[in-house]
Amino acid sequence: MLKKVPVQKAVGTRLAHDITEIRPGEFKGAAFRKGHTVCDEDICHLQKLGKNHLYLINLDKDEIHENQAASILANGLAGTGITWKDDPKEGKICLYAEIDGLLVVNKANLASFNMVDDVMCASLHSYTLVKKGQQVAATRAIPLVMKRTPVERAAAIGQQDGGTFFVHQLKNLKVGIVITGNEVFNGLINDKFAPILHKKIEDLGSSVSGIEFAPDDVALIQQAIKKHKNKGCDLILLSGGMSVDPDDVTRKGISQAGATEMNYGAAALPGAMFMVAYIDKTPLIGVPACGLHHKVTVLDLILPRVLIGEHIGKKELAFIGHGGLCMDCPECVHPHCPFGKGM
Amino acid sequence: MKNFETLVYESAKVHGHLCPGQIIGVRMAMLGCRLIGLTDPTCHCQIKKLIVYIEMDRCAGDAVAHVTGVKLGRRSLKFADYGIMAATFINLETDMAFRIISTEEARDLAPFYAPVIVGKSAQQLEAYKLMPDSVLFRVQRVNVKLKEYDMPGPTRKKVSCSRCGQVVRDQREVVIEGKPVCKPCTDDTYFSNAHETIWDDMDWVPNNGASVSDNNFIQKNDSK
Repeated sequence: MLKKVPVQKAVGTRLAHDITEIRPGEFKGAAFRKGHTVCDEDICHLQKLGKNHLYLINLDKDEIHENQAASILANGLAGTGITWKDDPKEGKICLYAEIDGLLVVNKANLASFNMVDDVMCASLHSYTLVKKGQQVAATRAIPLVMKRTPVERAAAIGQQDGGTFFVHQLKNLKVGIVITGNEVFNGLINDKFAPILHKKIEDLGSSVSGIEFAPDDVALIQQAIKKHKNKGCDLILLSGGMSVDPDDVTRKGISQAGATEMNYGAAALPGAMFMVAYIDKTPLIGVPACGLHHKVTVLDLILPRVLIGEHIGKKELAFIGHGGLCMDCPECVHPHCPFGKGM
Repeated sequence: MKNFETLVYESAKVHGHLCPGQIIGVRMAMLGCRLIGLTDPTCHCQIKKLIVYIEMDRCAGDAVAHVTGVKLGRRSLKFADYGIMAATFINLETDMAFRIISTEEARDLAPFYAPVIVGKSAQQLEAYKLMPDSVLFRVQRVNVKLKEYDMPGPTRKKVSCSRCGQVVRDQREVVIEGKPVCKPCTDDTYFSNAHETIWDDMDWVPNNGASVSDNNFIQKNDSK
């Protein structure tokens, strides 16, 4: 229960909640923390913050304070790889990445959680690469005091399937590269794909175990794949030959090499002629030629997900369509842009 | 209790079609029974322990009735005409009672749980299978004071209407100036302008009046 008292009569009482001060462009934070004992000197400051009354709280048995609610909510939302401190500021608790990795958000949980009255949680997009200590989400109860039951229900929703937010560590995979194409194989042009793929792989913490070159020949592409497979590669990247020309036979080579699942075509531009296939459990990624001249393509959306062990099937390649259109900005600011974030 | 899939299949058959309401009703009933500690409400040992108040005359209502086995004629099914997607499950042995309310937000959340399903109804149907109980329902612990005359079992009381002579059971009469009056005589009815009538084939009796023993009845039905 909340009792409203004039600020002058609140001297000697303890503040029921943090009181926020905003000085535009200069400061935004708690001017006074919950539990602070109001003294005469505070009155003027409080009035400058627009506080002519304060609340005194007397909680009923089934009520909880916003800070306690925030703790319950954060505990429900946090999955593995997420850390948070039970030290709410202005009624809010922030969730942080416990490790470097890929943030994965259970969007059904998050939507369901936010449909519960009087609670909220906002987060970064799912599949954002994050660093240890980086804030990934924040949650709070909206009212100062609320009933315990809806808070616990929201927390139970957040905890469904182990939590709503996870940071998965990117595995250090042994990656084999196959560069296909007669033009490169026969030395008509120099390959420029391998260094690009090499860098992307290493930037994500994996290593390239070898590079094979093959002409536009199904049997030789198959052989190159098998060579990587026999060397124990965890992931094989293939470039070139992913288009629709008669010489584009990389897909056939992947099939002949024993792919049990092949998903060709991704709802992203650049990167429509992208492929993810599997030989047993080893993923193979076919990178179309756009990877040569666009800084960021569908590969940058999917590769981190493969590196956390996610199985990429038809729906994973389809669902990136919303937000899957690169704006092709003169100066690329990815990942600080909408590309691939509409899923 | 049978598994979820079997209950949905049976419920849809009894109801006449499979719809999102069947999923909601089956799950609501499964949760309700779990909360009041009944593991198999239709079995002989539990069937008399349960009363369910259903607040909606919608598809889900049939599913709740099917899963729990409650019936109007057994007085284990009560209809509270609130127009709310909710039902209350009462364990008569322990007096434990929970009211389960289907959340409105579950409809809006269906696309999150079944994004690949096209069509509102089909998407809801699939999504309602996947949502956790905490998203599908809100639950209230409630007290339900059952009157003696609402309980299952034989008729507790019969009175004759002081105006028309109609027998009224279980204290459903209205007392006016100290005398029992049936509801129709108070004009507080769902019908109006009632008058006796005749109809075609008024002399019809089953099997042309031949007596039908229980055994015959069972055999005839079994041979179908």
